[in-house]
Amino acid sequence: MSPSKESDLALVARCREGDLGAFEELYKAHAGRLYSLAFRMLGNAADAEDLLQEIFLSAHRKLESFRGEAALGTWLYRLAMNQILDHVRSRAARAGQLTDGLDDASALADAGGHRLADRAIDRIDLERALGELPDGCRAAFVLHDVEGLEHKEVADVLGIAEGTSKSQVHKARLKLRKLLSV
Amino acid sequence: MACERNIERIQELVDGTLGPIRRAELEQHLAQCDTCRALRDDLEAVRDAAAALPQMRPPDGAWLQIAGRLRQEGRIRDTAARRAERWSYGWLAIAATLVLAAGASLLVLVRTPSPATAPSPAPGAVAAPPSTTAVKGDPSVEAAQSAVDSAQQQFEKAIVDLEKIARANSGAIDPATSAVIDKNLGIIDQAIAENRAAVKAEPSSVAARETLFEALRQKVSLLQDTIALINEMRRGNNAAAAQLVNKS
Repeated sequence: MSPSKESDLALVARCREGDLGAFEELYKAHAGRLYSLAFRMLGNAADAEDLLQEIFLSAHRKLESFRGEAALGTWLYRLAMNQILDHVRSRAARAGQLTDGLDDASALADAGGHRLADRAIDRIDLERALGELPDGCRAAFVLHDVEGLEHKEVADVLGIAEGTSKSQVHKARLKLRKLLSV
Repeated sequence: MACERNIERIQELVDGTLGPIRRAELEQHLAQCDTCRALRDDLEAVRDAAAALPQMRPPDGAWLQIAGRLRQEGRIRDTAARRAERWSYGWLAIAATLVLAAGASLLVLVRTPSPATAPSPAPGAVAAPPSTTAVKGDPSVEAAQSAVDSAQQQFEKAIVDLEKIARANSGAIDPATSAVIDKNLGIIDQAIAENRAAVKAEPSSVAARETLFEALRQKVSLLQDTIALINEMRRGNNAAAAQLVNKS
């Protein structure tokens, strides 16, 4: 057994026994990554914080099912992704759209303002602009350009066609370019 | 506007999925078309900036809420007296450090020229080192409980002192940042109130104490950050102030 797998299993065993300190250790190791994912996928801090709590409460309830086949971080990431996507889907369903429409690519391609490539894109500006994208578009962009998934993987995760993933990511980039160029 | 038929090909180039023949054709076009080249450069800049986004820090109150709910659901096992002793000593040490840190924060403010602000309390009011008499001697459960009480008092004293400083100088922070700080303090205050109630209901619960201490520690930490922010704003050090705002 690898040392990391051994330590994952030992930590999970302590959490299962109701050791709050152990679960805090687990939280501190993984909360940043999962919060970042939730924040960027959902586009606002309040929803991301609520969901982060649900993710960790759900993780605590499901620790019995952790067998160490995958790393603890991977197991948590999948669990978090499922919960985030449920949230995105239900919100999109309420808004009546899952694959949302932005303007045409050709209209978006007209950025107007200053060239982005001539200056460093400010992280806070980018986070803010991400929050202005429609849900489906933002989810595809975050998974592809931030999290580094391939279009096929994005399509599998979001339950959409690969072509739709490309279209959503591409529109998101154009829209971000426009938002960041003003 | 970029040449419409090339937009999709430029996107595929940025994706890294454009085949070699189409890529060569596009490169030829890009060499001649400023608009399309600008589009490619900008989309690459967006892609690279997205890939470089750093991990964010979860809000301070999140862990407290999770710990509180786990306890409400009865998923946290209260532990033996031996563990109570271990934790009580640790918390007392942390409380002592925080009280000293509160004094240091105040000292910086007092030394900084401050136009038209309310008078701050004297440094001596917070800088006194904590008593450790409660933990010397017999490490029994009673001694541990006494140490826990002492640590809690130290935390609460540090918070009162830090709040005085922060309130007296809050005008140095812009209203939007101040609103965020107030909101976060409100969340922590709520967690502290809930955890106090839990400690009152179960005075011997180590888990309840731990969570209360964590809430108190987070409040001290946020107040210390607030005071550091006030100091940086006073000095006109906007870069350092922005780092502190991003941290919170």
